[in-house]
Amino acid sequence: MSVSRFLLRRLLLVVPLLVFIAFFTFMLTRLGGQDAAVLISGPNSTAEELDMIRAELGLDQPLLTQFWIYFSNAVQGDLGISWINNRPVLTDLLVRLPVTLELLFWGVGLGALIGIPVGLRAARDHNKRFDQIVRFFSLLGFSIPTYFLGLVMILVFFFYLGWSPPALGRISLMVSPPPSVTYSYLIDGIIAARWDVVQSAFSQLILPVIAMAIVASAPIIKQTRAIAMDVLASEYVRTSEAAGLSRRVIQKIVARNSMTPIITFIGTELTALIGTASVLEFIFAWGGMGQYGLQAIIHGDFAAVQGYVLALALFSVLVFVIIDLVVVLIEPRADLTA
Amino acid sequence: MQLSKLTGVLATSAAAGLLLAAAGAAPAVAKDNTLIIGAVFTPESLDGDINLPGTQNTVVQTYEGITRYGRTKNSQGEEILDSAVILPHLAESWSTSPDGKEVTFKLRRGVKGPSGNEMSADDWVWSWNKSFAQKRTGNFIARVSNVTTKAGSVEKIDDYTVKFHLDGPSSILLKALTLYTPSIYDSKITKDHATSDDPFATKWILKNTAGFGAYHMSELKPGEQAIFTANPNYFGDKPYFDRVVYRMVPSGASRLTLLRAGQVHIAENMTSQQLKELKKDPKVKVRFFPGRSVAAVRMNSKIKPFDDVRVRQAFNFATNKKTVIDTVFLGEGEPARSFVATFIDGGLSGAAPYPYNPAKAKALLAEAGYPNGLDVDLNYSDINAWEEPMAIQMQNILKASNIRVTPKRLTGSDMRARSHIKVQDIPFFTYEDGPIVLDSVYAAYLIAHGTGGVSNRTNLNVPRINELIDLARVELDQNKALAMMDELQKIWVEEAPWILTTFRAIGEAYTPKLKGFVSYPDNHERWSDLRFD
Repeated sequence: MSVSRFLLRRLLLVVPLLVFIAFFTFMLTRLGGQDAAVLISGPNSTAEELDMIRAELGLDQPLLTQFWIYFSNAVQGDLGISWINNRPVLTDLLVRLPVTLELLFWGVGLGALIGIPVGLRAARDHNKRFDQIVRFFSLLGFSIPTYFLGLVMILVFFFYLGWSPPALGRISLMVSPPPSVTYSYLIDGIIAARWDVVQSAFSQLILPVIAMAIVASAPIIKQTRAIAMDVLASEYVRTSEAAGLSRRVIQKIVARNSMTPIITFIGTELTALIGTASVLEFIFAWGGMGQYGLQAIIHGDFAAVQGYVLALALFSVLVFVIIDLVVVLIEPRADLTA
Repeated sequence: MQLSKLTGVLATSAAAGLLLAAAGAAPAVAKDNTLIIGAVFTPESLDGDINLPGTQNTVVQTYEGITRYGRTKNSQGEEILDSAVILPHLAESWSTSPDGKEVTFKLRRGVKGPSGNEMSADDWVWSWNKSFAQKRTGNFIARVSNVTTKAGSVEKIDDYTVKFHLDGPSSILLKALTLYTPSIYDSKITKDHATSDDPFATKWILKNTAGFGAYHMSELKPGEQAIFTANPNYFGDKPYFDRVVYRMVPSGASRLTLLRAGQVHIAENMTSQQLKELKKDPKVKVRFFPGRSVAAVRMNSKIKPFDDVRVRQAFNFATNKKTVIDTVFLGEGEPARSFVATFIDGGLSGAAPYPYNPAKAKALLAEAGYPNGLDVDLNYSDINAWEEPMAIQMQNILKASNIRVTPKRLTGSDMRARSHIKVQDIPFFTYEDGPIVLDSVYAAYLIAHGTGGVSNRTNLNVPRINELIDLARVELDQNKALAMMDELQKIWVEEAPWILTTFRAIGEAYTPKLKGFVSYPDNHERWSDLRFD
């Protein structure tokens, strides 16, 4: 199957998936017993004000009619208005998505940069001291709650050591950012050649990125180690060893043959780590999509929750498509019909 | 590259990155005339009629009242508001017609917004008409104050004179006019943003300010920060701070760390536990102000078993309030005598009702048909940090009176929705709301009125209470109104719709060099009061 046909097929699968997710999320928020009109009008509104808002929002309509109105608007790019901030949900998501992607990109990227070689070496030195140490730290990475990890890092690196800047968001209070182009201060700073912005944005990124990398690297190490051990035990590696190939060449063979499942795993990790991003964004006042979604859920902001879930679904689908394409690049024999 | 080398290089790079960041990350020191606040939210609405997270905290800085409270000193020599004294503010003076149905205000002259426009009668009329049209918070304030809630009831007499037409005399109006809403807008600016669909520019007002107060919003980055700048034409004393950075730090633990490190000057919304921890830090000042709302456990008088007043009274006798104050509020609170705080004119004084008496509680329960006690669910939410510890304490305390409580958590939004006057389907729950006007009649109307009270979440509807509130609202003789409030509160306490626990003290945590904090009934400091020592 050609790549273009593969993409078209994926796209066709995405549509019903998104419709289902939109319907499911809509019903889940509505059947949760919460009354959006009360949330909007405030706890001290009168019954008359409540009815007025309910009629304005169409909440007096049957549930299926409400969904149809929502869905028809969503198809045209109108995901509704957040009751918390009165802004269009789509606008909020578009501004906040790059902010989260930046954190995920650097965090998972660093996690993979550390996790893959460490995992490969742990597999090679199976049950030796390096492997035992790595397994211990990997387990630690799995067990530390993200919230706790983030706070401890702030306490140690900012409060006690003074090495990192305060957890006051993505840029220092003393730096005025350039006009937004990409919504990443780091990239915007580079584009505008504002090195004070670049330095500040980079400094602010360090702690949350390291926290994200710690959380991301633990499963990457574990999975890489397991995959590489399978490859090491394979017949072609054992034959290569018997044939007297150098250790370096064998390492290359192991790395190359492990890469496809490792990349697929990192893809699944990327989507799963959105939850971690939400917590880190909350602690570091990051202002990204994760923080937005977390607050929307806490405050019962229906339109925002629905938009957030749809954006997550779309993000996951895109990540998997990209991974499939990357796998094809690495392994041309990969079957795109699967 | 060999794996061992690669892992070594990566580890070194990570450490180097952190050090490099450290080199460029010298903690930013704010300029001396900038106030930095660690806030839970950036203002999601700047329209006082649409009260969303962060709204009240900031709108009170940009829109000021037509009147204001006087100030006095407490026994510790600290400045506090005097609820018995009402002074002119945006108004210069006022007079009331003999029947009390017309109140005429003379506007203060020379009041200017940041644009240089002078406040005029047109601004007052436009602003009140906006609140009438929106039918939200400002409209409620108008209705409580007996102001006729329709366009034309606030009438321009001349550029500096405005007449308010009332449905009846109002004992509340002058105190209600201390509020930030209905806000007085610079209508020359707001009209520029009006459209045929939105004649009161409500969309623009949500994200911008156009007031005559000490500050105006100069930059808003939702989810990040809002920056407020001092109004250069402010009619009052020049504010000490030229600029206020209202920075969103959603995590309470992060706000605490930032305050301790001196990176923010005020940390908003600290919990009792956090305040206790901060008290030990010499680099932080923690101060408690008397609260005006009861951190109450409420009983729905229409749902069994709480439809029996003896059960409600039994629950009150079964509650050891001192234990609640000491454990949930770490000693910072005042035992509640009714829903009106003692520092508000008309609040009940003397001994707190329902002293702890498990034997009496058991006897009352037996009389009501529960000789073996009873099992109840106590719903609480995450709206206030005290609710969960309160629910746990109630479970422990009520046990001694054979009341077996199961705490059950609801989301904040669920709690708000289900406790709304139109629903009210929770039998036993924690909640806190109180008056933002320091007036016992206003508080009574809000909390105790059986048909009009929007914070009456317990379905209590006692005709005599309603009658007393309706009489007091139109009674201009303050002594008579206070006597009615005294009778009303005694009836209400006897009806016992709440377990009267405590008026929770409001804790503020800030940098010690910051001076000038005065407590307001909305629990938000005024930045124009503050200065560095």
